[in-house]
Amino acid sequence: MSNQKAEIPYGTLDLLLLRTLETMGTMHGYALARRIEQVAGDSLQLSQGSVYPALIRLEQEGWIDTDWGISETNRKVKFYSLTKAGRKQLLLEVANWEKTAALVARFLEADS
Amino acid sequence: MTFRGVAARLFALVRGRRLDRELEDEILAHLEMAEKDSIARGLSREEARIAARHQFGGIEQMREEHRERRSFIGIGNLARDFRFGLSALARDPGFAVIAVSVLALGIGANVAMFSIVDAVLLKPLPFPNPDRLVRVWEAPRPGVTNATSTLDFLDWKRLGTTFEALAAEAPVSVALTGSGEPVRLSGKTVTSDYFRVFATKPLIGRTFTAREGQRGASAVVVLSYGIWQAQFGADPNILNRRVILDGESHQVIGVLPPGTGDRDHPQLWKPLIFTPDQYLRESHWLMVHGRLREGVSLIQARAQMRSIQSALVEVTPFWKRKWSIVVEPLDRLLVGANLRQSIFVAFGAVLLVLLIACANVANLLLAKGAARTREIAIRTALGASRGRLFAQLATETLALCLLGGAAGLAAASLLIRTAGPFVSRSLPYPAPLVLDYRLFVFAAGIALGVALLVGVLPSLQTSVGNLEQSLRQAGRGSSGARHNVRRYIVAAEIALSLVLVCGALLLFKSLFNLQQIETGVRIESIVTMSMNLPTKAYPTPTRAATFYEVASERVRGVPGVLQVALSTHLPLRWISNGEAVEVMGINEPVNVRFKRVDPGYFGTFGIPVLAGRGINELDRRSARRVVVINQALARRLADTAGLKNPVGRIVRLYCPRYVARGTDTEEVEIAGIIRSERVAAPGLPDPAVVYVPLAQVPDQAVTLIVRTKGDPSSVVSGIRAVIGDIDPNLPLGDIATMHEVREQTVSGASRPAWVIGAFAIVAVCLTAIGLYGVLSQVVTQRRREIGIQMALGARARDVVLHIMRSGLSLIMMGLVLGMFGAFALTRVMKNLLFGVSPLDPFSLLLACLSMTLIGLLAGLIPASRAAHVDPVMTLREEG
Repeated sequence: MSNQKAEIPYGTLDLLLLRTLETMGTMHGYALARRIEQVAGDSLQLSQGSVYPALIRLEQEGWIDTDWGISETNRKVKFYSLTKAGRKQLLLEVANWEKTAALVARFLEADS
Repeated sequence: MTFRGVAARLFALVRGRRLDRELEDEILAHLEMAEKDSIARGLSREEARIAARHQFGGIEQMREEHRERRSFIGIGNLARDFRFGLSALARDPGFAVIAVSVLALGIGANVAMFSIVDAVLLKPLPFPNPDRLVRVWEAPRPGVTNATSTLDFLDWKRLGTTFEALAAEAPVSVALTGSGEPVRLSGKTVTSDYFRVFATKPLIGRTFTAREGQRGASAVVVLSYGIWQAQFGADPNILNRRVILDGESHQVIGVLPPGTGDRDHPQLWKPLIFTPDQYLRESHWLMVHGRLREGVSLIQARAQMRSIQSALVEVTPFWKRKWSIVVEPLDRLLVGANLRQSIFVAFGAVLLVLLIACANVANLLLAKGAARTREIAIRTALGASRGRLFAQLATETLALCLLGGAAGLAAASLLIRTAGPFVSRSLPYPAPLVLDYRLFVFAAGIALGVALLVGVLPSLQTSVGNLEQSLRQAGRGSSGARHNVRRYIVAAEIALSLVLVCGALLLFKSLFNLQQIETGVRIESIVTMSMNLPTKAYPTPTRAATFYEVASERVRGVPGVLQVALSTHLPLRWISNGEAVEVMGINEPVNVRFKRVDPGYFGTFGIPVLAGRGINELDRRSARRVVVINQALARRLADTAGLKNPVGRIVRLYCPRYVARGTDTEEVEIAGIIRSERVAAPGLPDPAVVYVPLAQVPDQAVTLIVRTKGDPSSVVSGIRAVIGDIDPNLPLGDIATMHEVREQTVSGASRPAWVIGAFAIVAVCLTAIGLYGVLSQVVTQRRREIGIQMALGARARDVVLHIMRSGLSLIMMGLVLGMFGAFALTRVMKNLLFGVSPLDPFSLLLACLSMTLIGLLAGLIPASRAAHVDPVMTLREEG
């Protein structure tokens, strides 16, 4: 079943999370995971749990902020939002990604 | 990684528990929301729960990743594993107690031993810049050092520009009188630079000025801290007091701080003032110490002394023109080669004990690892990486070893407190054994080393097992490979123990040989005490000779006294400073040891006269000069001068003067030859000794020797009373029986024997425990096999034999290995052995036999357990 579904490329989860927070604003972990799945459609195999280790790192680097709020199921839950430093980091990561993508694309063109 | 990131990670270390809790909340909320969404999409409650869990992925892996991401990989785990390790130890207290006490034994013994090594070999001397301190000797031939003459010392001092200070000293013994019973004090007369050489500052007052070392200066004295406390009640006004030493009033000018005494424990220091008759090159009596100038190397100092030597050759007497000057660093001198080697051997032995303790703990850990295979397999299945598992097991071991280290430190402090004073006494100079930070560092280092040694292998074994196989086999104990490792470890333990047992046996055999040694003297029921006649009261040799005659006569009348003798030296005590004998017509003098004895000496010690006669009452000062020689000198005379029959021959003898320095040449007749008595420590050849009648050449320092009817100590008070009657100001010192004198002489060889013997016993016990453990495990694992064998008709005897055979093969493997070790190690101890070869077959055989016996004993319990295996029971429980 996982033949067509890609694993998340290494190191891109940070980018996806930051980008999602940028467009959607403040949201909790479950919503973040769902949103990434929705945008990716069927092309991505994501273990929803894997967003949490990524989130704690982003938080520690100061790129996202957390606040305690109440979930739809009436449970205390962490809400994440992008910080100023996070916006800068996102620009950086996007630039990096585009550079990498362009490089790979050039190689592929050169081959064909 | 940004600075902020590092800080956050460090912070995460300390609030790991809170972060874990928060994560749990998030996971719960996440799953609930996912479930709710799925139910909204029309799934049943049960289906929704499964779907939510599926979408979330592996929870345990995620938790693990969360922890690794948010903190430094390793450190966070380390703290957690450490806690986990401690709680794991607490869950299995039996294992913990055994492992920690085995480690405490090994580490404790090592720390205690290190405190000795530290005090004796590593700690610098208690003087500033001790690396610049040297001792300077005259050397008649390479390897032999001699004291220095006055003129040589003064020339060195004048010409030796490599020295910041150079000082000479000579021992002095004085009678302190004026307050009750007279007391003998030993001290030093020193030249004024002495305290500059050692850079010693007084606690109170001052030390000597150059003026006080000149003739005619007023008498002054510097006291040691100990004597200031003991004799003068720590009187703060001591500088205003005058003390009577040898009947002469001295001004106290200073007190030294405690612990400044070197190996001789001097109690006081007086200026060394040379008298005109001491300005000689022939009389060697000074000990010379120097402090090198800053930046001057030992090699430079030696080179300069060589050129001084050749510059002085013109004025040097012809017979010592080939002598050289030796400059030695002081640290080498304070610890004799023999003591140094004893310490190294003992330290080596204690390291072996530590290795055996490590082997035992490693074995315990392997056994424990075997029991935990299932736990490990489950953790692996749940997503723990191999590295993480290894790290966890290793930290558990670390926790164990640190506990062992702490317990070892406690054991060491106990050892040092109880055995410390005893050990200190047998050291050459006051070296306090204390538990200081260096020992903590050493103990911590050892604990870490042990953790590495015992931890790596079992952790690897346990963490890198085959998962599937482990899960399947977990119920049946460990795999074969692991078991073999344990067998090899036990074989290695046996080998190490064998080395120790061999070493101990060799040392005990040489100790036994020493006890059997022929001393050449009868020492039973003999008590000795020393006297020192002050120059003031006994200015002439005649006065001294008269005193000796009267004293000897009066002591003979004390009840309980059988025989009385006087001598300048006791048997079994080294006679320093040689004099020389010249045979007429031959210019080559024979170096001899000079010993003055009274007519009672040979009889009291039962020394037989082999030719001619001994010394008798007629050999007075006015009579013709005679000497008696020992066999060794007779042989030397025959070899060097062709004097085949020396009795009755006249020889020229250099005799030390009374009070004054220097020697007179006397023509003396050799009256007789006696059988050599032992002068030196065992192992050294008998030196050539010339026995001179005390009455003809009196000395100020003599020892009174008394053979008694009963207990030697019972006559001491009677003797004291009699001597006090003759001279109330003359104290008696160094009261010792001849047995004690003998012990002091042979104790150098006996010291390591007991230490290594004790270590060997500990090692053997540890090894027996290790062997017992492995064989027990063999029995446990083979219960089923044994059960089948018994069901097929094997008798209990066969089963026991089977287990014992497996034990014996281990022992044999260990013994073969150990033999190599023993060959290698006992060679190191060669110099510590007396009258026994390092490859003594008796000791090796005895060591092997005792190891085998102990090994078989250790195997007997598991073997008999095997014999009581009930076949029906085992087959049922395993089937």
